[in-house]
Amino acid sequence: MRDQLEAVRGEALRAVADAADLQSLETARVHYLGRKGVLTNILRNVSEAPEEERPVLGKTANEIKKAVVSAIEERKQALEAKVLEDQAEQDRADLTLPGRRPSFGHKHPISQVIEEITDIFAGLGFRVATGPDIETEYYNFDSLNTPADHPARDLHDTFFVKPGVVLRTHTSPVQMRVMEQTAPPVAVIVPGRTFRVDADASHSPMFHQVEGLWVDKGVTFAELKGALMLFSHAFFGKDTEVRFRPHYFPFTEPSAEMDISCTVCKGQGCRVCKHLGWLEILGCGMVHPEVFKYANYDSETYTGFAFGMGVDRMAMLKHSIDSIHHLYENDVRFLEQF
Amino acid sequence: MRVSLNWLREFVDIDLGAAELAHHLTMLGLEIESVHVPGEELENIAVGEITSIEPHPNADKLVVCKTDVGEGEPLQIICGADNMKVGDKVPTAKVGGRLPGGFDIARRKMRGVESHGMMCSERELGVGEDQGGLLILAPDAPVGADAVEHLGLDDVFLEIEVTPNRGDWAGVIGIARELSASLGASLRQPYRGPSTEGNPPVTGLSSVTIDAPAHCPRYLARVALNAAVKPAPLWMRSRLTGAGLRSINNVVDITNYVLLETGHPLHAFDLDTLAERRVVVRLAEEGETLVTLDGEKRKLDRDTLVIADAREPIAVAGVMGGEPTEVGENTRNIFLESAYFNPKSIRRSARALGMATEASQRFQRGADPEMAAHALERAAALLHELAGAQIAHGVLDEYPKPVERPEVTLRYTRTNDLLGTEIPPSKQTRFITSLGFTSLEETSTDARFRAPSWRHDVSQEADLIEEIARLYNYGEIPVALPRVSRTETEFAPQDRRIRRLRGFLVGLGLTECLHMSFSSERQTEKAGLNGRALRFVKLLNPLSENMAAMRTSLIPGMLGHAAHNINHGRSTLRSFEIGPVYFPAPNETDLPQQTQRVVFLLTGNRADRHWSAQPAPVDIYDIKGLVEALFASLRLDPSVTEARHSAYTPGQCGEVRLNDTVVGAFGRVAPHVLKAFDIEQPVYLAELQLDALLAHEPPAPQFQKIPAHPPSWRDLAVLAPVDTPAGAVVQAAKEAGGKILRDVQLFDIYKGRQVPSGKKSLALNLVFQAQDRTLTDKETDKAFQKILHRLHKDFGAELR
Repeated sequence: MRDQLEAVRGEALRAVADAADLQSLETARVHYLGRKGVLTNILRNVSEAPEEERPVLGKTANEIKKAVVSAIEERKQALEAKVLEDQAEQDRADLTLPGRRPSFGHKHPISQVIEEITDIFAGLGFRVATGPDIETEYYNFDSLNTPADHPARDLHDTFFVKPGVVLRTHTSPVQMRVMEQTAPPVAVIVPGRTFRVDADASHSPMFHQVEGLWVDKGVTFAELKGALMLFSHAFFGKDTEVRFRPHYFPFTEPSAEMDISCTVCKGQGCRVCKHLGWLEILGCGMVHPEVFKYANYDSETYTGFAFGMGVDRMAMLKHSIDSIHHLYENDVRFLEQF
Repeated sequence: MRVSLNWLREFVDIDLGAAELAHHLTMLGLEIESVHVPGEELENIAVGEITSIEPHPNADKLVVCKTDVGEGEPLQIICGADNMKVGDKVPTAKVGGRLPGGFDIARRKMRGVESHGMMCSERELGVGEDQGGLLILAPDAPVGADAVEHLGLDDVFLEIEVTPNRGDWAGVIGIARELSASLGASLRQPYRGPSTEGNPPVTGLSSVTIDAPAHCPRYLARVALNAAVKPAPLWMRSRLTGAGLRSINNVVDITNYVLLETGHPLHAFDLDTLAERRVVVRLAEEGETLVTLDGEKRKLDRDTLVIADAREPIAVAGVMGGEPTEVGENTRNIFLESAYFNPKSIRRSARALGMATEASQRFQRGADPEMAAHALERAAALLHELAGAQIAHGVLDEYPKPVERPEVTLRYTRTNDLLGTEIPPSKQTRFITSLGFTSLEETSTDARFRAPSWRHDVSQEADLIEEIARLYNYGEIPVALPRVSRTETEFAPQDRRIRRLRGFLVGLGLTECLHMSFSSERQTEKAGLNGRALRFVKLLNPLSENMAAMRTSLIPGMLGHAAHNINHGRSTLRSFEIGPVYFPAPNETDLPQQTQRVVFLLTGNRADRHWSAQPAPVDIYDIKGLVEALFASLRLDPSVTEARHSAYTPGQCGEVRLNDTVVGAFGRVAPHVLKAFDIEQPVYLAELQLDALLAHEPPAPQFQKIPAHPPSWRDLAVLAPVDTPAGAVVQAAKEAGGKILRDVQLFDIYKGRQVPSGKKSLALNLVFQAQDRTLTDKETDKAFQKILHRLHKDFGAELR
């Protein structure tokens, strides 16, 4: 019986080791350890062995059973791991395939630039204001110190709806509308559509501007410079150089234009900046006392600054867009780039 | 305006190079648009003297010349011109030289004879238009000298943008004056008036009467006798060409030259053509006409200021002269006008006649009544010098109403308060007086100045402060951070919401379009729109037929967008636009109405093509879904009903209502509209009145307790007549289900073989749940039966 036991041990351990999958392992387990299994039978028959052999036989049989059980457990784990591995191999994703990406749209670059500009000024405490695209001559010109015979009107090729009513040629009329609505202090940033009778390679009859106005006690030209430099650095980058030079607008005095170092050549001179190294970005100045008169603001107590910039130009510079006409063509091959 | 650096230097010493000067002027407010150096393209061109001219052995039209350029043997040069003779001095490009356009001079054979250079015409040098032959230089031109230098072509021209307030900058002297103030260099006055001693007095030759002094405050004239009208000398012509003007004859060129130099427009009449040889400045009379120098016959109105002789108008004052009194080759005696006209009057005339001339533009900006006198003297002196004219003694000077020079007070503290600077009073005063202002009175706190005659743009303190800031240099003004005090007023409360909405729509996969506000009746009708959409705000001066009105809908623009992109191979589009539309105001005196709309456009496939799925075309439920998503994002609950709309296909169009008000429509674009836009695939659109939507701002959402007890689900499939509206079935189920029915989802609709004809199957998923308990089967069964009963009663629906 001992020999028989030793033979079974070898046989059973071999069968476990040879089991190629969980199924054959289970078959082996049932064969040796099942209710009618070989080892089970032997253990059951220990009682029939001569009494003096019984303890040794029993001990050996139990050892063998333990060894077989633990071998099966070990083998089972190995086989299970293999199954998982095989499964994983079968399920392996081809990560070179494109994912199922939810489609997303694109904000028009004009909207993006307007949002960026207004955000920068909102951070300085300016509030967004808007006004009508179709405007009276009073708001568009007269109240901005540009009476009917003023030569500056020649610079605005104005669309007329009827005598006295125009498509606004700039966002500046909103200055007056805002000042009429509220007493100082006031700080607004005004994005909007603007129109001029002008259509060629570099002009569009409709374009966009953002106007800014801040009126309070003691507002200075130094702060105008500060606000616009801060803006330029935020919008075009910290390395951007800024300069202010005298200019003329009927509704500001002193007036200035602001240039930034060319975004393309960094001031070295190129086609975009006409080899001057500078790009004209916006017009600005201290609000003209005559404008305050129209608004019923006391120009002795209050001072203020105003500025206006072309959004289209900003977008074109920021994104190196070579023609203003792209902005209004609504070609998705263009829109999807932003 | 284009200004010559050499010319400027006649009036003021400038130690700056061209680039530095350009920067300096720019920082003074004279924006330099570009810098031209005409001699830049000319190389190795000498003054040559022709020593012999022989016929070419093999060509009739060519000659063989020997030209001495001061370097040993004269050069043998083949030439096609015939205006030269032996002894003439001509600009000669040597071998290795270069002419404009990168034209290199090399040794070459012409019809078998060698040529070692090229003798040049004005045109070949790029200095003039005369191509009648070689440019013959002055007899005293030094042989071998650099012809570029000799001709003054080493000059630099600055293209300056003059702002409309500074008419005084529109001439060389004005800019020199500015430089003198800013560089601290004195202004030279190098020329004197003509000498007229012993000449006949002007009063015996002509006279001037001003009948309209408000329009013409000052009128000066001189008379030049026995002038020889001929071409102007080269130095004058090259300055005119450099400034972009055409040379005509010495008399006209002199008036233009003086115009460029002084900024003051002059006009020369042929004195002998004037009736009674006299001039009257008056308003035109009804029915008067004048053929102007450009050959156009002009009808004059009664507000147009004219220069007339004893009989009729001879010039539109300050705009353009008349043809009959023009100075021509046969002119001998000249009436030279220099006037100061009222800017508004000239502006009106120029506008009424649709003319914009060098003269009118300058008078409109405001001329200088003192410069008028100076310019006249300068021109008379030149007429004497260059046309050999005898200048009559004396000046006709009518100045009935002297132009006032404004007086302005400056407070020193105000300057620094406005600029944020600390400029001392003495410096402020110095800046102002250096610009030609007269100091009338100075105290420790303020000063009073009178503006010079050329500064009519200065009328108040702020103007003086700008002058101080300019000369102080804007770059030197300190930089300070603004301390904006936050105010409560919201000027554009919808802006933030529109912005959020734009972000939401982009997140939904829509790309934003932006079309111009223009449209036209044709475009709008083409899009199938009618009714209110055809009531336009029209433009009086549109750019084109297609942009003659302001848009009344966003749809035409979006259909154009679809057509354009489909044409360019992009057949799947998911786009939107948010923007204004415009309608005439009900009340004539009000401004037109402007409201915001939002439009969606879908065409092509629902999703981008992907390897894992078949592409599926969009349909009406995609566009409706977008509308639903828009309302859901605004927490609004619209109702949709089927509608008829001229832009959409019948049966594929819905009207959207909010609280019983129509706020928009959506649908499949009608076939005839697609055809009009040359689109050959289905397109779905929705246009909504965004302002009406944003007018409702629902209160902040209030938290609802999350139910603690589990829901139970039941599916219900019924057969109903095929035309039963699904929405009504869901609505009825909701009503019949009572409080415990939490939600109803329609999850399947089936028509086909497994359903009797005339019927469809509707499958509903019913969710029952109570806040306070777990529902029993009995409770849900009861509600289920109630629903079934209701559906049977309302729609004849049977359990399937």
